[in-house]
Amino acid sequence: MAEKLTRDAVERLADRLGEPGWLAERRLEAFDLFSKMDPPDPRGEEWRYTDVRRFDFDRFGAPTPSMAPPVLPDDLARKGVIFTDFVTAARDYPELLKEHFFTDVPVDEHKFTALHGAFHSDDVLLYVPRGVEVELPLEVARRVAPGGSTFPHTSIVLEDTASVTLVDSFSSEEFSDDALCSSVVEIQAGRGAIVNYISLQSWGRAVSHFQTQRFTGYRDSTVRSLAVNLGSSFARTQVESVLQGEGAFSEMLGLYFADADQHFAQRTLQYHDAPHATSDLLYKGALKEHSRSEYSGLIKVSRGAQGTDAYQANRNLVLSDNAMAHSIPQLEIEANEVRCTHGATVAPVEEEHLFYLMSRGIDRVTAQKLVVFGFFGEVLDRIRVPGVRDGLSDAISAKVESGAHLEVAV
Amino acid sequence: MSDTLLEIEDLHVEIEGNQILKGLNLSMDKGEIHAIMGPNGSGKSTLAYVLTGRPGYEVTAGKIFYKGEDIMELAPDERAQRGIFLAFQYPTEVPGVSVVNFMRTAYNAIHADQPKSAMAFRMYLQEKIDLLEIPSELVDRYVNQGFSGGEKKRNEVLQMAVLTPELAIMDETDSGLDIDALKHVSAGVNKLATPDVGIMLITHYQRLLNYIRPDVVHVLMHGQVVKSGGFELAERLEAEGYAGLAREFGLSQEAIAEVQKLEKARA
Repeated sequence: MAEKLTRDAVERLADRLGEPGWLAERRLEAFDLFSKMDPPDPRGEEWRYTDVRRFDFDRFGAPTPSMAPPVLPDDLARKGVIFTDFVTAARDYPELLKEHFFTDVPVDEHKFTALHGAFHSDDVLLYVPRGVEVELPLEVARRVAPGGSTFPHTSIVLEDTASVTLVDSFSSEEFSDDALCSSVVEIQAGRGAIVNYISLQSWGRAVSHFQTQRFTGYRDSTVRSLAVNLGSSFARTQVESVLQGEGAFSEMLGLYFADADQHFAQRTLQYHDAPHATSDLLYKGALKEHSRSEYSGLIKVSRGAQGTDAYQANRNLVLSDNAMAHSIPQLEIEANEVRCTHGATVAPVEEEHLFYLMSRGIDRVTAQKLVVFGFFGEVLDRIRVPGVRDGLSDAISAKVESGAHLEVAV
Repeated sequence: MSDTLLEIEDLHVEIEGNQILKGLNLSMDKGEIHAIMGPNGSGKSTLAYVLTGRPGYEVTAGKIFYKGEDIMELAPDERAQRGIFLAFQYPTEVPGVSVVNFMRTAYNAIHADQPKSAMAFRMYLQEKIDLLEIPSELVDRYVNQGFSGGEKKRNEVLQMAVLTPELAIMDETDSGLDIDALKHVSAGVNKLATPDVGIMLITHYQRLLNYIRPDVVHVLMHGQVVKSGGFELAERLEAEGYAGLAREFGLSQEAIAEVQKLEKARA
């Protein structure tokens, strides 16, 4: 029988991974924090729609590290790119790891990050040295065992003018024993660096998914992110972009498609902490059957961030009378020379659109598919990895046709 | 084998409890061009929609036979697959769907036995674009999004050319067009008016009929075809107005008053 998420299990995990003392100690500290902390308060803004006060952690077995080691082409290794698991990183690059692990997302942020700090495994460190441009997308595949848990950590560090794309996929078969994923992503983009981070969540329905992504972009950097939610019965995704340097640019894309009784909660932050930075956020979601989604997004502009240009849009297409989408855009602006626009829509498929398409011989399901594709097109067109775009198109197609679970093939 | 394309018998249609068509009779043969002329509110667009199966139009009595088949129970897509086409008065915008993708999906739905690949369809589409002298960039744009009035109507005619219907209903294809656009659209329709297709031109004005010459003109008033004739009927309507002829067509005082009111509202 698999052991549960206990302190003993934390020690055994550290032993098993053969980690150095400092990493093991941090795990235990995190576990003690987890034990003491209350669940996030649903009355607060960040967790308003996600009441996890009764979330039962005893359902899940402790993680069993199962990730295939990250694969890095030889020529990139020769250029100094590091793409490895934490165990290797702790042995070969301890300083790098110490500097960039759990620095942007603090362990004590909330109960799920604390638990993540205790049980993180299947972790990835991606480091790109100054001026190195990695052209082909790198990939990591996360898995979870039935009834188990996984706490994958992704740290990406780009030195000045470096560039890289990482496709981080979270997928499983359908199974019946409840499982948990709590993931943390930390990205640092140096001056003029370009990073493209794509997270694809297509877990089986028995998996609950929690993810915090935090990006920091320094001067003239470009941080692009795409957060996709298709699987899982409950998924909460928090994506935060901190524009730390003048002239930084952040593109934040979100795509979600919920069916049956799926529930997706999304929280975004565009934090402008430097002048003349630009952020452009577009989250689009479709909802079928009894599904629910919440989006709450904050644009925050600090006093010194003059010349900020921030754009935020959340669009929801509701395909059933029983589905529900909430959207709450927020602004918090302390600078006076800024341009901020935000907008949210929740709308059904228009019968008029369907009739027009059907009057051309197209059956109702195909007509709906066209409308849904048209709706998502705005996001799909901006995805720069063709494999991801095609995989998503197939997954969207399958979702329109049925409620069937489908993994996103990349 | 009969040459009858469309046979409408005593058609009564309601929208939300309001009776719009009140016993309409009409017969069209294959390859003919029929004009349906009528004042505002006479039920012209209702006729177009009920023929294509738009939801919300309740047929309370009467029958529609298309090529001998009662089509009343068929869904809009099934009617289109049998060769019925409607050029919309107000074509709908479909955001994010390109015209070429939309048309290929439609073509392959209607010609399911001989579907075309993306490349074969593109070539086929180009032939139609050339035939109708339409700017080819139109088909790479999203369906009707940001189209001018003229572009929307041209796009409808292009769809007609691509889908090769046997019954094409053109609902006020002339509305909102300036004279150049009207000539262009009419020229397109004339190129498509082969003996294989019956065309029903729905219009308020005679203007369109100067460019597309109908074989038969029907006058629709108060939910019924009150008179059918040749082109000279259209000319009389233009000269004397609908209300002027209403008495001659045997409409009741009440109906005439209604026609006058609706016409006034339009003016």
